[in-house]
Amino acid sequence: MTGTDEVATEVRASPTTVRQALHPGTWVIWLVGVAIALTTTRNPWYLALVLLLVALVLKVCSPPAGEASRDPVISPWRFGLIVVATSTLFNVLMVHVGDTVLFNLPAWLPLIGGPLTLEAAVYGALNGLVLAGIFAAFAVFNRTVPVRAALRLAPRAYYPVAVVMSIAVTFVPATQQQFQQIREAQAVRGLRMNTMRSWLPLVVPLLEGSLERSFQLAEAMMARGFASAEENVNRRPQVLLLAGLGSWLAGWLLRLVWRQPLLGDLLLIAGTGALGLGLWLAGRQHPHTVYRPTPWHWQDGVVIAGAALVGAIYLFPLPGIDRSSLFYYPYPALTWPAASALIVAGTLGLGAPAVVR
Amino acid sequence: MIHFDHLTYTYPGAQQPALNDVSLDLPEGELILVIGPSGSGKSTLLRCINGLVPHFSGGALAGQVRVEGLDPVVATPKVLSRYVGFVFQDPEAQFVTDLVEDEIAFALENAAMAPQEMRVRVEETLDLLDLEPLRNRPLKTLSGGERQRVAIAAALALRPRILVLDEPTSQLDPKSAEDVLNALVRLNSDLGLTVLLAEHRMERVLPFVDRVIYLPDDGSPILSDEPRRVLNQIELGPPLVKLGKSLGWQPLPLTIKEGIRFSRTWLANEKAQGKAGGDPVARRIVHRKTHPAVQAQKLSLNYGGRKVLRNVDFAVWPGEIVALMGRNGAGKTTLLKCLIGLARPQAGSIMLDGEAILGKDVASIARDMGYLPQDPNTLLFAESVRDELFTTLHNHGAASKTGGEWRLAAGAAAVEPDTLLRRLRLEHKAAAYPRDLSVGERQRVALAAITVTQPRVLLLDEPTRGLDYVAKEGVDRPPQTVARRRHGRCTGYT
Amino acid sequence: MNQTISRVTYALTTIVGLTAFLYPFWLPAVTPDSGQQMAHAGDSALMLTVLVVICLAILMLEAQSQGLSTKAIALLGVLVAINATLRFVEVALPGPGGFSPIFPLIVLAGYVYGARFGFLLGSLTLLVSAIITGGVGPWLPYQMFTAGWCGMTATLCRPLVHALHGVGRTTEVVVLAIFGGIWGLLFGIIMNIWFWPFAAGPAAMYWQPGVGPWETLQRYLVFYVATSLLWDLARAIGNVVLILLAGAPVLRVLRRFQRRFAFSYRPTAGMPGVEVTT
Repeated sequence: MTGTDEVATEVRASPTTVRQALHPGTWVIWLVGVAIALTTTRNPWYLALVLLLVALVLKVCSPPAGEASRDPVISPWRFGLIVVATSTLFNVLMVHVGDTVLFNLPAWLPLIGGPLTLEAAVYGALNGLVLAGIFAAFAVFNRTVPVRAALRLAPRAYYPVAVVMSIAVTFVPATQQQFQQIREAQAVRGLRMNTMRSWLPLVVPLLEGSLERSFQLAEAMMARGFASAEENVNRRPQVLLLAGLGSWLAGWLLRLVWRQPLLGDLLLIAGTGALGLGLWLAGRQHPHTVYRPTPWHWQDGVVIAGAALVGAIYLFPLPGIDRSSLFYYPYPALTWPAASALIVAGTLGLGAPAVVR
Repeated sequence: MIHFDHLTYTYPGAQQPALNDVSLDLPEGELILVIGPSGSGKSTLLRCINGLVPHFSGGALAGQVRVEGLDPVVATPKVLSRYVGFVFQDPEAQFVTDLVEDEIAFALENAAMAPQEMRVRVEETLDLLDLEPLRNRPLKTLSGGERQRVAIAAALALRPRILVLDEPTSQLDPKSAEDVLNALVRLNSDLGLTVLLAEHRMERVLPFVDRVIYLPDDGSPILSDEPRRVLNQIELGPPLVKLGKSLGWQPLPLTIKEGIRFSRTWLANEKAQGKAGGDPVARRIVHRKTHPAVQAQKLSLNYGGRKVLRNVDFAVWPGEIVALMGRNGAGKTTLLKCLIGLARPQAGSIMLDGEAILGKDVASIARDMGYLPQDPNTLLFAESVRDELFTTLHNHGAASKTGGEWRLAAGAAAVEPDTLLRRLRLEHKAAAYPRDLSVGERQRVALAAITVTQPRVLLLDEPTRGLDYVAKEGVDRPPQTVARRRHGRCTGYT
Repeated sequence: MNQTISRVTYALTTIVGLTAFLYPFWLPAVTPDSGQQMAHAGDSALMLTVLVVICLAILMLEAQSQGLSTKAIALLGVLVAINATLRFVEVALPGPGGFSPIFPLIVLAGYVYGARFGFLLGSLTLLVSAIITGGVGPWLPYQMFTAGWCGMTATLCRPLVHALHGVGRTTEVVVLAIFGGIWGLLFGIIMNIWFWPFAAGPAAMYWQPGVGPWETLQRYLVFYVATSLLWDLARAIGNVVLILLAGAPVLRVLRRFQRRFAFSYRPTAGMPGVEVTT
């Protein structure tokens, strides 16, 4: 089982061996920046630039081989290829729009019958690139942020959930070990694994043993003063969160369906505020302090500024920047995409992690 | 400080109460040892002190406990955490984080202590148990003894005035156990911490103990008194105390030093009467048949690029009892696993009764060679103790189930499970759910589930707990080989 | 008050969740004209992901604010660890198609310990296993949401089992097995909707006049059958088989532990005692 070894190596990499690294929160913000850029534009120039920057960051910021915290099962580039191929294929087969006809399928074929166009192929490929880019950006996150640091990202309002996750991460290697021991113990009792039923003597002790250990752990936690929440939880934060969600939904629909961008944006901002306030209030209900807070450094500031710049350029109409080149579409006839120098320059902000290291 | 007032506690679904009408009065600053046979309720008693029983066990509680004027049941274990530190049997099962320092800080974080103050407190606590050199180490990389010291430190971080420990050394080798117990003695004498300790390695702590609480399992009253007085009244005790009692040494010697004083005069007396002399240990004569029960030749095994076994040769003859000793990581478990077929040596041969077994599957080897793994819990999954035994027989084709009734196959070479249970003093637990039993009882059930096929050879991997009893009662009679693996000295029952 | 907040929470998050998951079907229908709208169709995916994340955040807060005792936290942590381990097995030794061994425990625990527990077990299983296997990606919020729903809705089997008088009998396991099978398919269907807009999604609809929601659905079905049906069938059948096989003993174990959540206390002899549920 290769999986077992992977966890084992991962857990051995203790936080002390991790070099001075960017704050995990910074990586989340960078990730959001990449996602904003990739999902708002279909302009091949910008997409290619973002992909290039992500690749650069992946190369520069990945820990050296063997030290990588967790490598994805499939390499981001191979995944990208598959995605681009799939989405191109489907788009060509299903969307029969565009002036440059490559091939005609008999019209009696349901859905896929009709002209297959170059425009549909290009658009499908661009969509695939978007996904591939997002996947690569997450690969950066997965490689550079250690498990424990990722767990500490949970907002304070989610302290109980964060504890659940931290317990789970601690118990995964133990569970694997336990499973191995149970398999051996049942084997020496003469159990042969020849039917599906033979798995039961393995599953039941594993589950039962784990539940018992969970109670031991709960005892140990409570004996050291842990309590998940007070008896009477104040539900006001939750009302705020619900208001925030409603406001977001309304704002988004206003923008998209009823074409009221100004009112929509206002609602989005109000919703964000309500959500932030709600989370902050909810966090105050968990009175506990942190022994070892993760520090922020100036490098974090640089990366965050870069990501914020990109987010602003791609989302909001800023004076002096012509955003029309963002909205490139190959339909109805393929055209050469235009590019704005200012947007290209701003997009470079996503490369900040590679520079500050 | 701690008062038990007519406390009776019954686990959910149990017929008999685990604690029956317990009344105790424990003064401050004492080092108190809690002893008793397995299943007598030691863990239950200790867990009542900070309210883990009944908050984490369910069941029915009558009577009252008072700790520093608080009722733990009403106040909840969270509040009690400021008064009582608790250390559990299994060091692994009580860690919440994965770094030494974080583990100690956990209780302080929960108490919402200011970061500055927390730092100071963590430093103090590290010093208290000499953990400073280990502060940044992941808990995984620590030895058992170090882990248990971290657990004690973590329990003391909030500065409770009472420390309760439930068999803290049962998973440790003798050296680590000694470190842990020494640390406890020091905490008690230097800081005046009240320490309540359930422990079966009594010889280490007895000299320092102020009070012994004895919990019987036969319904007789609980004893709580000065150590010598309690030990004089009960059967249980370390070898030295037993020897002293059988020879009538009074006051009972608790340390070797005290013992030697008696033994000198005793030996001199015996010599004078011409009784002593000769080999003190009568060597057991082993009947050597044509071939050994187990024979290994040139066993070699590499694991992860490391030579674990290199050219191991040995022979064990029928009826022999062999103890396998060695340091941690010396390959004791690996050797046993090779014999039973769980590990495949790269070279060598293994013969069981003159028949090569290397390469055969585990299930068929296990029929003739029983192997008891370290953790009995990995074995138990059936609905009742009796089912557990029959399941093993069923696996080997020696029993079948028809209409909910187990039936022994005709001509099967096996012990009647009920007979075996009687022999292991488990007959009253035959219908119980194995997981509801105490640790020691579970160990015996696991042993029963392994030996029910009447294996000719029995391998025991660190049977540190519960088996003391079993060894006395005798497991099975036909000539049988026991390879027993224990750390260090074979004290206790050999 | 508490009740109302909980109800509003479930209602609103379900509505938003469905809106988000189903946007490829309704979006082209409500915004028929092309041009400027196109600009915003692109960022819909991002906006909807944000909405799903907010829903998740609210549901988690709701689930943890009500009765997530220390015991439940430890229990959840350990069950999530088991499931994450099973996920490793899935990644390391790919079974047939989309077979995944994580669902039976989510269904069974949700059924025994309630909707909140089921929701947290489902969503945290996906989250934790994604973090440790390096599988964090844009699909994660959707996966968490869907698996959470699976665990949450498992409680709906309770009234059905009661109506059939099946508690502790084979009927109970059969009902849960069918439920697990349905979710095996549903999980795939919902997760595909996430990916689909990128493959042959709604943006193209603007350029094809006369393509309504119905045809969109047809396209989706083709896409689904072509890419995932077999995959998801394997998952569904896997769930049914696993629950039929292990359902009864696992339920017994889970229920046995439930006994520890209540005790009785009678401090003074002769006085009536109290029953406490923790």
